[in-house]
Amino acid sequence: MQAVGDAPRTRVVVTGMGAVSAAGLGVEALWGAALAGRSGVREAELAREGPNRVKIAAQVSGFRPEEFIDAKLLPYCDRFTQFAIVAADQAVAQAGLSERCPLGSRAGVTVGTGAGGITTIEELCFTDFVLKGRIDPMAVPRVMISAPASHIGIRYGCTGPTFVVSSACASGAQAIGMAVQLIRAGAIDRAIAGGAESTITALNIRAWETLRVLTPDCMRPFSIGRNGTVLGEGAAVFVLESEAAAYRRGAISLAEIAGYGTSSDASDIVRPDSDGAVAAISGAIADADLDPEDISYVNAHGTGTIANDITETEALGRVFGSALRRLPVSSTKPIHGHTLGAAGAIELAITIMAMRSQIAPPTINWLGPDPKVGLDPIPHEARPVPIRAALSNSFAFGGINACLVVVPPQ
Amino acid sequence: MLEKATEREQLAEQILDVIVSEGKIDRTKVTPEATLESLEVESMDVVMILMAIEQKFGVYIPIDGGIAEATDVTNFVENVAERILASRG
Repeated sequence: MQAVGDAPRTRVVVTGMGAVSAAGLGVEALWGAALAGRSGVREAELAREGPNRVKIAAQVSGFRPEEFIDAKLLPYCDRFTQFAIVAADQAVAQAGLSERCPLGSRAGVTVGTGAGGITTIEELCFTDFVLKGRIDPMAVPRVMISAPASHIGIRYGCTGPTFVVSSACASGAQAIGMAVQLIRAGAIDRAIAGGAESTITALNIRAWETLRVLTPDCMRPFSIGRNGTVLGEGAAVFVLESEAAAYRRGAISLAEIAGYGTSSDASDIVRPDSDGAVAAISGAIADADLDPEDISYVNAHGTGTIANDITETEALGRVFGSALRRLPVSSTKPIHGHTLGAAGAIELAITIMAMRSQIAPPTINWLGPDPKVGLDPIPHEARPVPIRAALSNSFAFGGINACLVVVPPQ
Repeated sequence: MLEKATEREQLAEQILDVIVSEGKIDRTKVTPEATLESLEVESMDVVMILMAIEQKFGVYIPIDGGIAEATDVTNFVENVAERILASRG
């Protein structure tokens, strides 16, 4: 909250967005799928047969990185980095910055990812332990979790603060939140920020299913009969700028990132706690200088697991009170899957598009209300909603929570 | 009918064995009404129990859904038994 007499706070606006998801390339493809309730969940196509019993995932199918990334550079890029680069290209082009590179020391890069180059690690293990073959000499730069931030920085000549944020499923939202704070603090004028993840391998599906949180059939957030989540992959990347920097170069603002709230449960490594979620949601709303009643759409974390959906609803109830029954809240995860470290970014792109279109996307696969949940998940079909401010939630294993509030640009 | 009932009873007994060994429970405390809470079975124990069930019976059961609703041992065993029988067709 701004005290009387303080200088007005720097506003941070979005001037470009990019996405790679199970819906295809681009934010328009992602938003189109979210709006139509068209799911990208399919039988997973895996590099090799594995021990996994769960056979479904929301994969980016037909992705051809060689169309976007130079042949000499490609061997250095794990699939999660490839997604980040392609999404960044789209965002930078939309922001009108492609011809203004290098962006220099007043530009930073922050990318969220949960698992880094896990696909490459699995290849290494298989090649060395099983095939006894020659392993990829580029393994180290491919695996390193900071790779997408470095590659984006090299591509656009960003020599300001550049790093990866890793906080499991809160990574994307935290990376964007950190960029907002760096711009507000005056450390940089603009940032390329987002989240990227690619973990759809037989072994990783197996690892998730042994935690028993994957559904073998259908993901149904907030619904009766829900029995777990579906892994997804992809990236979303944004160009964020101070309002003044965007104005100076005549850039068009798509949205303002008005609030960022983050907290840690500091209690259990896998079980969420509503106190932490409440702190992050309330923090984001207060940071935007808004009250809970100003929020008119929530893109929920909504993983379709018992633990998340009940805790998230409890947290929303504690923040929004009885108004929650009328507040449109949806989970778009059955469309693009749970993209883990990219989730906060991919879902922010959808949240911004919902606000710009004044339409709340639906929660598909909904069978009916769960008496333990009791919120309006916008079942089955998108709904026109006047959206003045929207909230996107990300709650991670490890108890780390991050929420973002967007409002229309001024 | 009698055969089916016996098969189910045997299955329930086998499931209970897994719960007792993986949940590190004192078998004498397992009464039909005993709750998972009273037996100090925590969520990670349930994960381990379901892993052992998968290895023994070849069926994937997520921790969400029916299992999450089960509060007592009888309920839990019935839920697991139903899924195993369903997987056998």
